[in-house]
Amino acid sequence: MKKYLLVFLILIGGISVSSAQQSKLPKVNQLADFSATIGSSQQSLAASYIYNWGVGKKRKFELGIGLRNTAYFGVKRDFWTAPAKLARTNTTPFLIFFAGQKTENWDTLTVQRAFTNSLNVTANLGYHITNKLYAGFNIDVIGFTVGQKSSAILKSNGSTKTEPAAKPAAFNLLLTGDHDLGTLNSEFFLRYNINKTWSVKGIYQFLFVEYETTTIKQTAPDGTQNDRFRNKANNFGVGVAYHF
Amino acid sequence: MITMKQLLLLAFTAMMLAACKKEATPTVPGMDTVDSSAMINQTGAFINGPYGNVRGTAKIITASDSASFSLVLQDMSISNGPDLHVYLSKEIQPVNFIDLGKLKSTSGTQVYSISGTPDFSQYRYALIHCQQFNHLFGSAELK
Repeated sequence: MKKYLLVFLILIGGISVSSAQQSKLPKVNQLADFSATIGSSQQSLAASYIYNWGVGKKRKFELGIGLRNTAYFGVKRDFWTAPAKLARTNTTPFLIFFAGQKTENWDTLTVQRAFTNSLNVTANLGYHITNKLYAGFNIDVIGFTVGQKSSAILKSNGSTKTEPAAKPAAFNLLLTGDHDLGTLNSEFFLRYNINKTWSVKGIYQFLFVEYETTTIKQTAPDGTQNDRFRNKANNFGVGVAYHF
Repeated sequence: MITMKQLLLLAFTAMMLAACKKEATPTVPGMDTVDSSAMINQTGAFINGPYGNVRGTAKIITASDSASFSLVLQDMSISNGPDLHVYLSKEIQPVNFIDLGKLKSTSGTQVYSISGTPDFSQYRYALIHCQQFNHLFGSAELK
């Protein structure tokens, strides 16, 4: 999260252009937002309702909440050992971002046909750079996921096994870093207002997707049994928004 | 002029097309050369699995220098499918296995190198398995 905020502030600081003729911004900004992203053997589609409040004298900053439905599709994607205590050298909240990786504990679950459908409450943050340009960040906070069971291949401790029915983790919760649970979507975006009603945006997406094994488990070197595996997708995409 | 609705439809179609890649296995007959001086350790004939038709013979061979092992699939005829892999497996179902790679062809003679020195008394089956859909096409018990 800290990394996200830093990148976001650099983005704003770097491209901020004062606009003398900027008209007064509204107190509240409501949008229906649709986005599509694509990466290596994986895609996502998302639909959101966004409710943002203008902050500050000029209301150039926006803070808000929303509701987002994200559908994720992946073919033969690798998911790695998810629990923070197995994946990281330090599990203190927030410090975990800077913790080393315990790669000796990492096993790979290759999910053959991943499909998840998540509904999450989002937190939104943004800044009106000009009348036309808006830079923003949003992240899923809490929600649930349904999806398709899929066969998977677990490579663990030098052996390869078939997991016939890996399933998406049902509960999503933003904690910090690898403490996160479930499927959580986040976007950095730059939005361009075509007119008062429509806008388009370019997106850099960071998406956590979690699957659980149902018949076999990873046995970590310390004996811990693990059934949680996470895919961290970095995708690019486009979106369109309708402003109410 | 392209409308917003058309633009969205176009983007969605492009994504779905990118998502749908079901690559079939090549059908050009395999023509791999089998080391004539290699020693045959185990052999077995393929039988059909629940999802495909497989005919042919599987052989574990040791190279003449005794340093490496290979699985030879000979005179093969395999019904085509996506993402077919060749396994050495402990069970007749692909529960615990070594993935020797993608099936090179649905017919002919093919050689797959085996890394390391597996315990062949445990890995007693050669399997043709559709990995993406978890469908067993055929198996051969190696004796």
